[in-house]
Amino acid sequence: MAKLTIPAEEWMFSGHAACPGCGPALAMRLLLKGLGPRTIVSVPACCWTVIGTPFPTTALRVGVLDNAIEATGASISGLRAAADALGLADVTVVGFAGDGGTADIGLQALSGMLERRTDAIYAMYDNEAYMNTGVQRSGATPWGAWTTTTPVGPAARGKPEPKKDVMGIVLAHRPVYAATLSPSFPEDFDRKVELAKGLRGPRFLHIFAPCPPGWRFDSAETIALGRLATETGVFPLYEVLDGRLRITRKVSTLRPVSDYLAKQGRFQHLTPEEIARIEAQVRTDWERLLAREREDGPAPA
Amino acid sequence: MLEIRFHGRGGQGAVVASELLAQAAFLDGKMPQSFPFFGVERRGAPVTAFARIDDRPIRVRTSVTEPDVVVVLDPGLLATTPVSEGLRPGGLLLVNTRTAAEALAGPVGIRRATVDATRIALARGLGTSMMPIVNTAVLGALSRASGAVSPEALDRAIAAFVPARPDANRDAARDGYLQVRAAPAREGPSAAPAHPRPPPVPIPEGPIAFLSSESTPTAAWRTFTPVIHRERCTRCNFCWKFCPDDAIELGADGFPRLRAAFCKGCGICAAECPPKTIEMVAEA
Amino acid sequence: MARKVLSGNSAQAYAARLARVQVVSAYPITPQTSIVEKIADFVASGELPAQYVKVESEHSALQVCLSASALGARTYTATSSQGLLLMHELLHWASGMRAPIVMGVVNRAVAPPWNIGADHTDTISQRDTGWLQFYAESNQEVLDTVLEAFRLAEDPAVRLPVMVAEDAFYLSHTVEPVDVPDPAQVDRFLPPREPHAVLVPGETARLGSFTGPDRYVDFRRQLARAVREVPRTLAEVEADYARVVGRDLGGPLPTYRADDADAVLLTMGTATTTARGVVDDLRAAGRKVGLAQLRLFRPFPDDTIRQLGVSVDRLGVVDRAYTFGPSGPVATEVGAALYGVSRRPLLTSFLAGIGGRDVTPHEVRRMFDTLLSDEPPSTHWEDLEEEAAVRG
Repeated sequence: MAKLTIPAEEWMFSGHAACPGCGPALAMRLLLKGLGPRTIVSVPACCWTVIGTPFPTTALRVGVLDNAIEATGASISGLRAAADALGLADVTVVGFAGDGGTADIGLQALSGMLERRTDAIYAMYDNEAYMNTGVQRSGATPWGAWTTTTPVGPAARGKPEPKKDVMGIVLAHRPVYAATLSPSFPEDFDRKVELAKGLRGPRFLHIFAPCPPGWRFDSAETIALGRLATETGVFPLYEVLDGRLRITRKVSTLRPVSDYLAKQGRFQHLTPEEIARIEAQVRTDWERLLAREREDGPAPA
Repeated sequence: MLEIRFHGRGGQGAVVASELLAQAAFLDGKMPQSFPFFGVERRGAPVTAFARIDDRPIRVRTSVTEPDVVVVLDPGLLATTPVSEGLRPGGLLLVNTRTAAEALAGPVGIRRATVDATRIALARGLGTSMMPIVNTAVLGALSRASGAVSPEALDRAIAAFVPARPDANRDAARDGYLQVRAAPAREGPSAAPAHPRPPPVPIPEGPIAFLSSESTPTAAWRTFTPVIHRERCTRCNFCWKFCPDDAIELGADGFPRLRAAFCKGCGICAAECPPKTIEMVAEA
Repeated sequence: MARKVLSGNSAQAYAARLARVQVVSAYPITPQTSIVEKIADFVASGELPAQYVKVESEHSALQVCLSASALGARTYTATSSQGLLLMHELLHWASGMRAPIVMGVVNRAVAPPWNIGADHTDTISQRDTGWLQFYAESNQEVLDTVLEAFRLAEDPAVRLPVMVAEDAFYLSHTVEPVDVPDPAQVDRFLPPREPHAVLVPGETARLGSFTGPDRYVDFRRQLARAVREVPRTLAEVEADYARVVGRDLGGPLPTYRADDADAVLLTMGTATTTARGVVDDLRAAGRKVGLAQLRLFRPFPDDTIRQLGVSVDRLGVVDRAYTFGPSGPVATEVGAALYGVSRRPLLTSFLAGIGGRDVTPHEVRRMFDTLLSDEPPSTHWEDLEEEAAVRG
């Protein structure tokens, strides 16, 4: 029998209300495996408000605090302050928010939390649109993607603006730790979560979270799509510890981005020229990442 | 006034069916009303929608609790949801199923009808095998079994309001109209409802929930069930690792086992299994 | 007990310190700033061993208190005007979560146009958020009420957040003698918080759940029941405070020389003090006038108002705010409370002190004259009347 490569314990209950093949559900399961039972999770309005199951049930074994959509950063500052005031130093405080609740309406509270050096983890699960309300575009929706508020028609080609660089914004605050994670790479995911758990100060996790109904793909393909996102360079896996960037999933040759786009209904309308434009941007971003890694150099021994 | 309640699962088109029915009824010259129960509509999760049809403007805005007609888009719901609750005596229960209408265990005094809308939808290329879109086929069957709307009005409503593949949907509705099978009401003493109401939940002071979501199984969400063939299993545990529902457990022997109550049938385990030893099998 | 000369804002800070708050979070806004500065000094000097979270907005300040409260901490914040309005959504969260947060509010006018003077529009417009609201007449009352507010907020029958409001500048920046109780006295009055409906690390619970139409109404009903418990619980808390600290604040609506009065003026906040002086002067001149001070605006003390109503023929209500109805907001509520009382007084709504105008003794005297005139009006913009009168 193969050795387990991620913790055996489960801190998420089954019976939750996520759609079949839900990336955010798997993200929560993997995150809690790494964080363990002494965790309090603050959840704003997002898919997990509903996934977490309605009263009188809850889908997590650990404590969950619901908070207003824009307030997650402040909420985890408050939980940390109370934990410290009440002598609960061993408690891990984590905010688990969607991309809309982070990149758009929650950006101010996130910035505040990072700036005041709150000792907590902020995890953004990125399904690249407002999915709980039925697929409306967010600041994290990629260029060209169809959503219900960026439809495709004779006068529109999906979202006309590029995806907001949330990691760039976060890194400008110089957090103790920031990383990109994908449930398609559970070992890399778990290592980053456990590393983050052991650090003190503000930590940020950007989690790739494919959404079968919102991105229009078959629910069986969630993991495969996540792998493609990393292998095409659309969602590179890296971490920044003490300001030093390291790519944790090396890709010697990026696969064509069309391999990733073709699987999703939200990109079906794209022309070869539009796909080429995405490809060029992905490659530029990837080169920048490689350059930053080279510049930062290896961590001191 | 005719009151109709639709039971389906997220993604099957129950809400759209209810709206299309209203559009068709309007084309018939009636005054319709349609609305969804707005709750936790997740792909695969049970959803409810309501429709009313009358000759006069409808003077009520509530859920339909005593329907004349209940339409069930997914046979799996019969086992998990009290679909026939409140059905009026002499009313109609229409179910999408392969089962013959006579074999349908409807309540006493309720007419029964069945249609294999899943087969029709797949034959017409509507939806995927994982999630066939059965609503138009079911509406065709409803038109014939209940007379709620005319088949001509349904044709026109589909042409006007179904954005994707209106022709295939119209054909599916016609197939449903032709293939629906009806059976008279069962006789005999009425039995106690098969789904007793759960005991009331104690309300704590303050909005705090303590019960595990494992008290709410999600088996009814799935259309396909993974079957794990142990002989080729290498015990790599990929199926366990990638399951968003934690619906695979590893035995002491290292072999994976399905926690069937919680599997939603997403198919990730089968897709990720390196030796391809997990097979997705259609639910009966 | 030590007697100090303190501002209203200092009184807030001293009370928070005496209450041994565990988490404080705030964002500066004029004229609340000296509260948060004083608390910063107390934390810096070690006199208040609290977590003090300095945030990027009032919205976040309240969320910090809310989340800290959800883990069981005693929390305090303070704000004013626009800051309170920014908190609006989270005010509902706090009451719905049954979080016993205490908040000092310096009543200040709402923009536009910008104005930093005393005005009750900020707190009045939050009346439907499920918070209890007290309004203080003096800095002593500020300090005493904040301490009582913690007891009331944390009482098992109530478990609701409380605002303790003070008028901008007339209290916030006015210094006057205040008796500060000894910490040991306060400890006897206010034991540590007994957490309820909170998260416990390692235990399964979700606080603030998504709740369908089947059960949501139960939680609203609970809120209504808790609010109804306030008058009884307040009486207990005040009796205890009087016993331990030696001051009785007199319930939701203390009256002054009102027993045999032909006309009574009802005031909220600092206009009360000036009116008290005018009542004394008029009584000395043989006129039977009296005063009622509305300390508790939420929940509105209907029963007490009715008791006052049946005993007087002419009742004037002084509002330092306008609501977009027929009269001032407090007057509207008084009128509603008196509806159904067979013998009720003539009611006049006076709008006075809007946006930081002085409510002068001259003005209060004229309000009594108006009240006792042959046909008192229903609504009267007293500020503008006063200006015309002074200009002649």
